[in-house]
Amino acid sequence: MSKTTTATKELNLVQAVNEALDQAMAKDDRVMILGEDVGRNGGVFRATDGLWKKYGNDRVVDTPLAEIGIVGGAIGLAINGLRPVAEIQFDGFMPAVFDQVVCHLGRLRSRTRGKMSVPLVIRAPHGGLIHAPEHHSESPEAYFCHTPGIKVVIPSTPHDAKGLLIAAIEDPDPVIFFEPKLLYRAARGEVPIESYTVPIGKARIAREGTELTLITWGAMVQTCLAAAEKVGRSIEVIDLRTLTPLDLDAILASVEKTGRAVIAHEAPNTGSWAAEIAALISERALLKLLAPVKRVGGWDIRMPLFRLEKYYIPDADRVAMAIAETLAF
Amino acid sequence: MPVKTIATMDIKRLEILSPDGKADEKLLPKISKELLLKMYRLMFQIRAFDERAILLQRSGRLGTYPMITGQEATQCVPPLCLKPADWVVPTYRGGGVYFARGMQMRYALLYWAGDDRGTHFPEGNNDMIFSIPVGTHLTQVMGLAWGEKLKKTGGVAVGYCGDGTSSKGDLHEALTFAGQFKLPAIYIIENNGWAISVPRAKQAASPTLAQKAWGYGIEGIQVDGNDCLAVYKAMTDAVERARSGGGTTLIECETYRMSHHTTADDAGRYRDAAEVASWAKKDPIARLRKFLTAKKLWDEKAEMLLARETESWIDAEVAAYEAFPQPNPLNMFADNYAKAPRALVEQRAELERLLEAKGGPEILTTLPPAEGRFP
Repeated sequence: MSKTTTATKELNLVQAVNEALDQAMAKDDRVMILGEDVGRNGGVFRATDGLWKKYGNDRVVDTPLAEIGIVGGAIGLAINGLRPVAEIQFDGFMPAVFDQVVCHLGRLRSRTRGKMSVPLVIRAPHGGLIHAPEHHSESPEAYFCHTPGIKVVIPSTPHDAKGLLIAAIEDPDPVIFFEPKLLYRAARGEVPIESYTVPIGKARIAREGTELTLITWGAMVQTCLAAAEKVGRSIEVIDLRTLTPLDLDAILASVEKTGRAVIAHEAPNTGSWAAEIAALISERALLKLLAPVKRVGGWDIRMPLFRLEKYYIPDADRVAMAIAETLAF
Repeated sequence: MPVKTIATMDIKRLEILSPDGKADEKLLPKISKELLLKMYRLMFQIRAFDERAILLQRSGRLGTYPMITGQEATQCVPPLCLKPADWVVPTYRGGGVYFARGMQMRYALLYWAGDDRGTHFPEGNNDMIFSIPVGTHLTQVMGLAWGEKLKKTGGVAVGYCGDGTSSKGDLHEALTFAGQFKLPAIYIIENNGWAISVPRAKQAASPTLAQKAWGYGIEGIQVDGNDCLAVYKAMTDAVERARSGGGTTLIECETYRMSHHTTADDAGRYRDAAEVASWAKKDPIARLRKFLTAKKLWDEKAEMLLARETESWIDAEVAAYEAFPQPNPLNMFADNYAKAPRALVEQRAELERLLEAKGGPEILTTLPPAEGRFP
């Protein structure tokens, strides 16, 4: 945290997002919100609740239903001096914006030899386990992490949600900001009342331990904390908070201490961000490892409809088994 | 050089049956008594089904459900103009379309209960599963129509979308191709006034969505979407055009989403009750009932019998839906590839081990049999 404050209040994660947006808009009149249903309705998860009333039609914009329009338009707005925060309503609608993200968003700074930048935030809910319809429970982070020139952030606590979102809005480069929808109301915590930032690119030690490093992000942080309790051993849980740029220092420091690493996440393992982290640990800390790095993720199939989602996304038991196997190696 | 008008656009709107049930006899399409009664029956039944589905959701017996109420004419009538082999892709709010195509509604419930076995259409129908990321099916519908043209089947492909989706680039690309290749495609925009909380006026600035057709060199027409006779006429004309090589039609059906976006939405946050009430007066079912009654094709007794029959039908469908056992978790590995690759074989075995670790060694024998093709 760049600044410490004393006064706090208890918020859930979606309220923390709302407060971050509100404070960023109050502080900087270039900040605007655009997306589907973000205005009068306050967003389908109520992340922008009250902001349309407070800041009006020009700063909280209900757009036509067109994701490429939202993101392409936001890129133009950002280049032209605004600070847009675009909302994509569900993770499953993110693939629609891919052309803009891959071919333009992450490349414009480099293509213009630094003359242009795209200070744009794209917010989207992330992950499963809320019994949502098809295409509403996806974990598409790897596609975006794979794309150069953009940052990918995913908080797991109300405190980090507020501080990271303000940091993302202030960041000179594009940030994809995933919000674990399972935690929107389930995660509650004390949040400073004043505006503050949590630095992008810094992981958080969610639980200290010495025997094994459990690396995770998003809603899976809660699952991992439960799994760590279950196994009754000294497990260190790292909440990455930022997926790119990765806090490799924090990962390596922990793995060099424990000698064992498990990476848990919701997406299919193949080609996942967990795969990248496992590769980095193997490249940089091989001789400190006492066991192979293990990944616990979704299966290499599409997210099933919700009756089977609990068998797709790893639960605490599955993570605990992976921990036990890695400890026993 | 003078500025010349080189083209002008002409957009027509078709209305046949007024809200009080009186038909414009000059425009009345040739339609049998049986078909009129079938339309009424389908619309009546799907509304009752919709009401029951909402109750099921509210009592925790169903997942998030998108309501159909108000859109019965735009959903139940176009399928009656088609053959089973014609392709139809509705929107996710398309239960009425599938019902009119003969789907057993237990499967619709199963789908909205989060069960993949709910994707189940009548044998012989070319029905396709809708797309939840809206509009992504519209170019596919163009491809389906293209296939019919290349195979010279005389078949057509019908794609639905909403007023919100008409803003997406997908429709632009679909209509561009469909116009260019003169494809036997029909696009129905169910303009129900609202894309969740965003009103129609906040989508395109154009006064109609039908006029989009003009930019692609295809036919376009707006109809009163709560007027089943107008929907029928526009659709039969479009089917005839498509089958006879005349190309693609865009039909904008102006209707109204009488309920919330889904059971997860609260429309009271963003729209006036007065607007909803004004549309209640234009109800498609009441309108046809008045027409049929005036023509002595319907009476209170028939209505009562239909209501009773509908209740038993819904009871039976709900019972059949609830009789499905929970799916075997291993089902999710089936049918991902024609032949499952090694990774899936390994992962399925891993899930079996996990299930055994949690439920004991006998767990796999107590689960319902795994369904689908694997490996």
